[in-house]
Amino acid sequence: MKITPIIGLEVHVELKTKSKMFCSCSAHHFHVKANTHTCPVCLGLPGALPVPNKTACEWCIKLGLALNCSINQDSFFERKNYFYPDLAKGYQITQLQKPFAINGYLDVDSHRIRINRAHMEEDTGKSIHENGATLLDFNRSGVPLVEIVSEPDLTSAEEAKKYLTKLQQIIRYIGVSDADIEKGSMRCEPTVNVCIDDRFYTPLVEIKNVASLTGVMNAINFEIKRQVEKFAKDKIEKNSSNKTTRGWDAVKNQTFLQRSKEGSADYRYFPEPDIPPISFSAAKIQNIKATIPLLPDQKLDQYQKLGLSDADSQLLSRNPSFAAAFDTALDHKTDNDFAKFVANLINGPIRTFLNESKLEIDINSIHPTHFQDLFENQDRLSSTAIKELIIDSYRDNLEPLENAKNKNLFQVSDVNTLETLAKEIIDTHPKAVEDYQKNPAAIGFLVGQLMKASQGSANPQLAKEIFEKLLK
Amino acid sequence: MNLNELNLQQARQGLREKKFSAKDLVTACFSQIKKHDQDINAFVSTFEKEALKAAESADISLPLGGIPIAIKDNFLTKNQLTTASSKLLDNYLPQYDATTIKKIKAAGAIIIGKTNLDAWAHGSSTETSDFGTTKNPWNQNHLPGGSSGGSAAAIAAHEAIIATGSETAGSIRQPSSWCGVVGFKPSYGRVSRYGVIAMKSSTDSPGPIAKTVDDAADLLEIMSGHDPYDATSIDEAPWKKPAPLSNLKGLKLGLPLCYFPPQIQPEIKEAILRSVEIFKKLGAEIIELSDVLDPKYSIAVYTILQRSEVSSNLARFDGIRYGHDRSFFGEEAKRRIMLGTYSLSSGYYDAYYTKAQKVRTLICQDFDKQFQKVDAFIGPVSPTTALKVGASKGQAMFGEIQDMLVEPSSIAGLPGISIPCAFDKNYLPIGLQIIAPQKREDIVYQIAKIFEDHTDYHLKKPTL
Repeated sequence: MKITPIIGLEVHVELKTKSKMFCSCSAHHFHVKANTHTCPVCLGLPGALPVPNKTACEWCIKLGLALNCSINQDSFFERKNYFYPDLAKGYQITQLQKPFAINGYLDVDSHRIRINRAHMEEDTGKSIHENGATLLDFNRSGVPLVEIVSEPDLTSAEEAKKYLTKLQQIIRYIGVSDADIEKGSMRCEPTVNVCIDDRFYTPLVEIKNVASLTGVMNAINFEIKRQVEKFAKDKIEKNSSNKTTRGWDAVKNQTFLQRSKEGSADYRYFPEPDIPPISFSAAKIQNIKATIPLLPDQKLDQYQKLGLSDADSQLLSRNPSFAAAFDTALDHKTDNDFAKFVANLINGPIRTFLNESKLEIDINSIHPTHFQDLFENQDRLSSTAIKELIIDSYRDNLEPLENAKNKNLFQVSDVNTLETLAKEIIDTHPKAVEDYQKNPAAIGFLVGQLMKASQGSANPQLAKEIFEKLLK
Repeated sequence: MNLNELNLQQARQGLREKKFSAKDLVTACFSQIKKHDQDINAFVSTFEKEALKAAESADISLPLGGIPIAIKDNFLTKNQLTTASSKLLDNYLPQYDATTIKKIKAAGAIIIGKTNLDAWAHGSSTETSDFGTTKNPWNQNHLPGGSSGGSAAAIAAHEAIIATGSETAGSIRQPSSWCGVVGFKPSYGRVSRYGVIAMKSSTDSPGPIAKTVDDAADLLEIMSGHDPYDATSIDEAPWKKPAPLSNLKGLKLGLPLCYFPPQIQPEIKEAILRSVEIFKKLGAEIIELSDVLDPKYSIAVYTILQRSEVSSNLARFDGIRYGHDRSFFGEEAKRRIMLGTYSLSSGYYDAYYTKAQKVRTLICQDFDKQFQKVDAFIGPVSPTTALKVGASKGQAMFGEIQDMLVEPSSIAGLPGISIPCAFDKNYLPIGLQIIAPQKREDIVYQIAKIFEDHTDYHLKKPTL
């Protein structure tokens, strides 16, 4: 039996604009005291009217452009009418006929995933079910949301995860949202069915309440398996009225039926009369496009061309903050050795330091001249010393060369000084010399003695070479 | 003459010359209300104590300083009962003032009460109000019209000096016509809708109802202006009334022949034709327009679009907030919600909503075409004078028929006015309407003003 999963993803992204979509309330709502960021507009009080947030509309277009979409220059909002206690007005303001962005794509490992649309809408309030009662919090009501709808082009849970990760990276790169799945600023609803033996299509299932990337993968895999098994039993194929909605139970690791007969829902969409149609000139769209930085794929390419390893390039490019830190440290230089040197420090000691101290990378703590100084003096510094110095530079803005002097980290590379010391050690350690002559690996002891005598300032490589020469 | 019978100009002058105080003026209005409003029922609620207190500190240097004003009860007034004449909101105290209320308060006016309307402004009679029908002050067996019937009756009965109304398709002009007062419907977007309970969002236009053309224009000046809280508001400075004209030479007035439908009351047609003679004497050129799109099409367009928007606008009254469930909607609101839900449903949307929008475009284009030939339309407001109490009962399309002559201009978002131009044989007022192109309130004002200056219908008072 041949099984081909067919997966489409609906992704909602909360924009991190200062104010809400249609009023001036703060859009910040995570861990905020209930119903404190509200006003007549987002509470849907009688007489209140929506005024669209220009920045949010522009960010939606920016996101659309980053996803290779065409932009509808003439667009408008519509009302989607349905009842839900946390939907204050009894309708959601959204876009159906003329979304801001249409017909885009994202390439996932050279598989092109088509994007149907990226449209602008508003979030609903939150229902909190507690002790048999339902409480309503309208802080989230009216927060700007972009809904990104893919075509059903994904063929596995793994691919879905890659698509989401990439989408997340792009969203973070252009800075319009934190796209944090756990915090709910990015929400994914996969629609899954399966094609069996290139002939039979199982009924569509939309999965809700998935709160992590792993959850998305697990839910999709569970559904694929469930649908294949179910089809084997009942042979029910997809039709226009048997789409169902299933919830994801992350504890039991399974989906459960929420709603059936999805096809019969009628949202009575019509143009929102409170908001005039919105037009964006070609020039305005160009201006928005110009604000899009290099995206992860382009960054990766750029880093590889600088001679960075694939691993380093990926590590840096997948996180816009690390990429920005690297670019700052590199300071437009194109020397491949310097680029590698900088990448090693950022992906090595700085990343470790940040992980251990649970900090986000801060671009203001990256001092390009410090990297340059270290690079130019790497012959005189041990790799351990360089790590120490770059962390001091990052954490305390300490100038590395001065710091090295103070900490006595410069290595002595003066051959005469080292030879004098080496001769003294050879004279005072005849046993060790004897050992070395039997076994060349024993040279370590002699080098160790020299390091000790120089209080750690000797260049160990040079010391080794001097012993080898003197004892030949 | 009692102080409550003064118009805005006279009241303002008297206050400034200290002939009487704001308190005297407010007291006079309340004494009239106490005497007659049990019968007229123009008010849903009155705020005597607050109004008298406000009168004591009134700043009469302000444009409306110390002037008693009646507010249609679909304008939100902070912490003051706002019902839209529906029992569903019979204990609703708004958390905020409508933009227009803020402006009216800032201009120094004193809100004396909230006036009756057809519940949710659905109607042209006030008979759908959950708080009783308002009676026409000229004859209490007759209706005041609607939906701003309470405001029109309050002005006609001299219970207030000025009032606000709101028009979606006739709700300012038709009751003003039936009550013999001046009702000025501005261009759509000229006056903010923020804080006025939405009925048909795409044409709702708040505006003044007053005793004279100047009074209405002065209140419109205060109510108008761009509002950042209303995305459909016209992005211009507040409207200013222009200097009055001394004659109408060079002005072309269009007389749309189809605004005299077969069912029109003959006295109304005669009255309008007499008015035409006055305009001619004042120097206007009268042009008969024989190719204007018949207003009957507007009835269908308006009905579909209005029901559709209403079904969505009333969805927020879902029984969770405001204290009452949806059984508190009256019969008319329920009927409109049902019809609107139907016309927006998939499978019917294109046949009804989309088609209505297309015809709306044709209506707008027709006005554009006509306004290349004339500067303004003149014609009757309503095909009849005030009908008897009970006339709307069982007539689901009552309002649409009564408002058919004002619906086209409402749908097109145009400014218009109703001014008294005659009385019928039962001494019920007849209204003349003037319609101008979008944003040309100045033309409306100038034509209405000169007509009023040469007639005395606005000076007549009903015997209560």
